Amino acid sequence: MRRMILPVAYANSAGARGARRSLLALAFVLLCFAAIATQLVRLALVGGSRTRPTAAEPSLHGWARPDIVDRHGRLMATDLAVHSLYADPQLIQDLDEAVEKITAVLPSLDEAELRKALADKSRRFVWVARGLSPRHAQRIHDLGLPGVAFRTELRRVYPLGALAGHVLGTVNLDNRGLAGIERMLDDNGLVEPVKDVAGAAKPAAVRLSLDIGAQHAVAEELRRALKQFAAVAAAALVLDVRTGEIVVAVSLPEVDPSRPAELLDPAKLDRLIAGTFELGSIYKILTIALALEYGIADLDSIYDVRQPLSAGAHVIKDLYPQGRPLTAREIFLYSSNVGSGMLALQAGGEQQRAFLAKLGLLHAIRTETGPVATPQLPKTWGRTETITIAYGHGLAVAPLQFAAAVAAVVNGGEKLVPTFLARADAPVAAERVLTAATSASMRELMRLGVTHAAGTGRRAEAEGYGVGGKTGTAEIPGRGGYQEKAVISSFLGGFPMESPQYVTLVLLFEPQSTRDTGGRITAGVNAAPVTARIVERIAPILGVLPRLVEARTPPPFDAPHQAQ
Amino acid sequence: MHRTANLFLLLFAVVGAFALYALKYDARRLELRVQAQERAVEKLEGDITVLKAEYAHLARPERIEPMARGLGLAPVTSRQYLRLDAGRGGREESRAPTPR
Repeated sequence: MRRMILPVAYANSAGARGARRSLLALAFVLLCFAAIATQLVRLALVGGSRTRPTAAEPSLHGWARPDIVDRHGRLMATDLAVHSLYADPQLIQDLDEAVEKITAVLPSLDEAELRKALADKSRRFVWVARGLSPRHAQRIHDLGLPGVAFRTELRRVYPLGALAGHVLGTVNLDNRGLAGIERMLDDNGLVEPVKDVAGAAKPAAVRLSLDIGAQHAVAEELRRALKQFAAVAAAALVLDVRTGEIVVAVSLPEVDPSRPAELLDPAKLDRLIAGTFELGSIYKILTIALALEYGIADLDSIYDVRQPLSAGAHVIKDLYPQGRPLTAREIFLYSSNVGSGMLALQAGGEQQRAFLAKLGLLHAIRTETGPVATPQLPKTWGRTETITIAYGHGLAVAPLQFAAAVAAVVNGGEKLVPTFLARADAPVAAERVLTAATSASMRELMRLGVTHAAGTGRRAEAEGYGVGGKTGTAEIPGRGGYQEKAVISSFLGGFPMESPQYVTLVLLFEPQSTRDTGGRITAGVNAAPVTARIVERIAPILGVLPRLVEARTPPPFDAPHQAQ
Repeated sequence: MHRTANLFLLLFAVVGAFALYALKYDARRLELRVQAQERAVEKLEGDITVLKAEYAHLARPERIEPMARGLGLAPVTSRQYLRLDAGRGGREESRAPTPR
């Protein structure tokens, strides 16, 4: 062919032009090859677009929730992939066979209901059973039934069972949060929709302020107390007064987060947050602090408390009348209602109200688990209310809110926001509500409440940990007035009192008198010793070192057991 | 000269085609391997999640406490703490106190 063309080309021109043209073509072809080669090299080095398998099913497969861990990173809640069985009624060939075989493997299913669901040919998708164990899933799979298939879903599991169930809250079948911290995760957009369960990237874990070890120890001690004093319910809180972190929050009876219905049971209410109570004499901490803060009295001011105080139709008396005038210090130690009332009257209702408002007791607050029950204020704040609130009646608040207010009294006077999330080490912004001097006096007084021979909180002493605090025994309002036999007994403590790290609040609802308590149901014989047991157990867990008693001779090293 | 060039180009084309085919085959094989490994990673990640949950379940204090007490262990009491200088002036040989 070339022989044919070339002569023509030579014939048409002088040869050189033809050669140039063919060189041009050659260069063009070479250029093309070079381009291909470059592309090959580029592909080999950089790599081209990767092929990705596309999901055959476009629908959403679930919600990936972050793990919830405690302050030391121990797992409290996580997502696991589980198999859920669904059916397409239109593809089911033999309804009787399908229903019979499925219920044989899963006897918990309601046969009539399943039959009804599978017989409805107008539907293309029916859930049969969700969250099956791998073993059950395999057995259903082996049945080889047409029209039934599995879908992998994420299911929330709580490896610790009911521990901290009130705080964690719960999720629904679709893995969306319903209550507690779980609800907060949804509300804050920390839950991510996922299409492919297996490949889903997990959101970063959420770290709570709770300490699992301490939480368990407190729950254990409370369970013992519940049994010992035959109480209806019990609750305990441990709050870090330096950061506002809630380290322990137990409310018995507990709820299991994997059983959402339990959270709705009124008997299993979270008594620390979801209920308000008149807490009784532990309010006297605030009354004395009020008097000191506004310079109304000092700890040595004397009050004549011999006469009962009349407030409207009521007559306020003391439970432990001393028959002599008392100092402000003694009003606290002997838990004098009359004395507290007199101090509050001297301050006046307005100032009392302003003080409690400043401590954050009169307005609704929130934590990460949701709103805290709104404080119930008296309709009018007159003389009667001023007196009764001074010793803890007439103003009902959630125990958490009260403990947070007392935290400010003992920590040097700074109000903190209680939180369920672990705080970073960054300093916490705190609002000063009390002078450091008032706080120091209150610490001394609270310690005295435990160490003094006449203190109502004597049994709260945990050797070496410097516990201080105040007892409270509040009659529960019932039909036609307060009930004498049904009380909430409480102990609000702090430790170590010389430089407080934690505030503890122990509440026993309707404790009964036992032989150990000498027929009494007051907090000094139940809530106070429970506090001591709790402090002894959690202090080593929380890293609080006991103050070693100087006077004690150190035991020789080769006989350490004698030290006990 | 043209003939040589053409032959060379033809050869180049054949070799190029072959190399391209080999590369493509290789790429597909690698792609499959990547996918298999990604699946393996996903499965392992799933397994790790399950193991972590199982570990947390087994290590829950509610279960550990009775076992520890069964072994004769008890919570630390404040009397088990000693000052570091407590043994000074005593015997030279010392050992840590054993909690009981």
